[in-house]
Amino acid sequence: MQRRSALKNLAMTLGSLASLPAWASGWTPDSLGTVSTLSISEEALLGDIVETFIPTTTTPGAKSLNVHLFVMRMVKDCYGEPAQATLQKGIALLEETSQQTYSKPFSEGDAAQRMDLLAKLSALTDPAGQAFVSMVKKLTIQGYMNSEYYLVNVEKFNMAPGFYHGCVPVPKLAVNGTN
Amino acid sequence: MSFLTIDSIKDRTFDAIVVGSGISGGWAAKELTGKGLRTLVLERGRDVKHITDYPTTLMQPWEFAHLGQLSKEYIEANPVASRCYANREDATHFFVQDAEHPYVQEKPFDWIRGYHVGGKSLMWARGTQRWSEYDFEGPARDGFAVDWPIRYADLAPWYSYVEKFAGISGNKDGLSVLPDGEFLPPHEQSCVEKHFSDQMAKQYKGTRPVIIGRCAHLTKPQPIHYQQGRAQCQNRSLCQRGCPYGGYFSSNSSTLPWAAKTGKMTLRPDSVVHSIIYDEKLGKASGVRVVDAHTKQMTEYYAKIIFLNAACLNTNLVLLNSKSNRFPSGLGNDNGLLGKYVAFHNFRTTISAEHEGFQDSTTAGIRPNGSYIPRFRNVLKQETDFLRGYAAGFGSSRPTSVDTSAMGEDLKSSLMQPKYGNWRVSSHMMGETIPKESNYVALDSVLTDAWGIPQLKISVAYDDNDEKMIADFHEQMTEMLTVSGFTNIRTHDKPDKAPGLDIHEMGGVRMGKDPKTSMLNKWNQLHNCKNVFVTDGACMTSTSTQNPSLTFMAITARAADHAVKEMKRGML
Repeated sequence: MQRRSALKNLAMTLGSLASLPAWASGWTPDSLGTVSTLSISEEALLGDIVETFIPTTTTPGAKSLNVHLFVMRMVKDCYGEPAQATLQKGIALLEETSQQTYSKPFSEGDAAQRMDLLAKLSALTDPAGQAFVSMVKKLTIQGYMNSEYYLVNVEKFNMAPGFYHGCVPVPKLAVNGTN
Repeated sequence: MSFLTIDSIKDRTFDAIVVGSGISGGWAAKELTGKGLRTLVLERGRDVKHITDYPTTLMQPWEFAHLGQLSKEYIEANPVASRCYANREDATHFFVQDAEHPYVQEKPFDWIRGYHVGGKSLMWARGTQRWSEYDFEGPARDGFAVDWPIRYADLAPWYSYVEKFAGISGNKDGLSVLPDGEFLPPHEQSCVEKHFSDQMAKQYKGTRPVIIGRCAHLTKPQPIHYQQGRAQCQNRSLCQRGCPYGGYFSSNSSTLPWAAKTGKMTLRPDSVVHSIIYDEKLGKASGVRVVDAHTKQMTEYYAKIIFLNAACLNTNLVLLNSKSNRFPSGLGNDNGLLGKYVAFHNFRTTISAEHEGFQDSTTAGIRPNGSYIPRFRNVLKQETDFLRGYAAGFGSSRPTSVDTSAMGEDLKSSLMQPKYGNWRVSSHMMGETIPKESNYVALDSVLTDAWGIPQLKISVAYDDNDEKMIADFHEQMTEMLTVSGFTNIRTHDKPDKAPGLDIHEMGGVRMGKDPKTSMLNKWNQLHNCKNVFVTDGACMTSTSTQNPSLTFMAITARAADHAVKEMKRGML
């Protein structure tokens, strides 16, 4: 993206990213790398789950924005062990329910079947049911609404130059809910 | 060999030593070097060079692995540091890790510290309100603490002096409780803040103004700011990362580079000051003992004058640890008051509300500032059953929300259509706490840190006066918001929130007229060791309701001016 490379160039000019001091190593997300607590197939399944919540249409869906990687990372780094167990068990239960209901893996179901399965789990009081679905859904929405795609295209986020106006008319379309 | 020793001592001898490189240390460095003194600036933490050492400053929000959130591991390892509002994923490298810098909490106290060049001037909230006559006259009038040896008039020209250089934005409001300064253009208030301000003017006949906060941001840089290499604030509000534009005031972007340009400054990071050396023959301090942060080796540095700007509680620590035959309980501590009468600001409670009007309006962009309600309680006369009063921050926003009930394409489409809710406002209390002998810091008799320095034992707590003030804030703010048409008014007191998170600790080495009841004279010199100056938060006799940093700057510039004049007269 052009704006992004312009920022990177600015960074180089200012010498900020070009010469990170030694104590700051480990401070770029790249160096943090992907944090995986799931097997490759479970990770793929999580991708299909987030894509079910927010699918690709004419615009990118959650999976193509790697929101499932964000979900995994948050559960592992910020949510603690009970949440990790909820994630693991929920994925297993979802797969099991899919086999029982449609006799095929979750990933092979169509959008309607997948949504039906997530709704079924959501109705369970078992932590692997409702708690799992609401946690993954919440993180999916958080990850999506803070992705570069969403912030730049929907929120029109621009780091600088900034401004502040204390009183402007509400954009008409947004009031009507059509943005 | 003897030549080498003499040379080595010469290399370690300066005209002045400044301990600490934060807001007040930076000013001491600038003023002393500017007046021609060869000055050694000691900083216990690592170097942080302006721009180069702000590794996160240009990162986009989505480039953070946890979108700004602290990890569970970090929070568990750093329960104190992680409670600070400014310590987010983008700024943990500027906050000390709990385990590396232990202290003893005799009573719960969240001690927030930034050990690096620039200190907390990199992560501060940048509120810069002058103190008023009522603040300096407070103890004498109300009978607490001791009388300040100075008055507002003594400091007014120095406020002007530091404001022009630092760059302070604000509106000239003409209030005696909050004197005007040398302002750059103010930030704008939102429609709802203006509404509240108008309502207050009507309902309380001008006695409770709601003004735009005064803050250390370059809203319109002047030539003096460009000469520092600083540029206009870009309204990013990412200040805790360090600002690549120098848009807000920090030692790193402003005073330290200015001092460096004189060629008179020697900056030594990684230098943990152990104590001040008292020379009994000379009857004054001759230098400081420094422990290298990495090798742990001790070296002595010498100077004619010493400015102690280690930040309030560490300044207390250094003085308490400066023991000699003449001063067995800490430098200058003949009266036994060193470390006592520590006070702070009470930030324990907030209030929130909504306004159902102004539906067709919102704000645009970001403002690194908020509105401010100056102290209105007990100003001209004692009108409540508690001493002193409180100021309050006041902010507003028009948040949007999305409907998240659906799944699939329906969910996606509602995410694309955020809807505006009501305007929301919130206010935080900033209460003056009363300095008391029972609020003190002392050296632990057993525990030391990694540098062999005794750990600081902190015993500071709220009292009944603070509780009464909290109740009054709830009552008064609820009334003010109600008469101004706000709804859904809710108070949010956090009785478990320990002192310290306000990061406005002051006192322990208070100023005063009488050596029997205070540690410092009106020029910030130790009564009993005149070539040692204390000009950070430790010197404050009482705490006012305003943010203290601007006052630290003005007091430091004033004391440095006096110090150099006295040196030239051969008095130090």
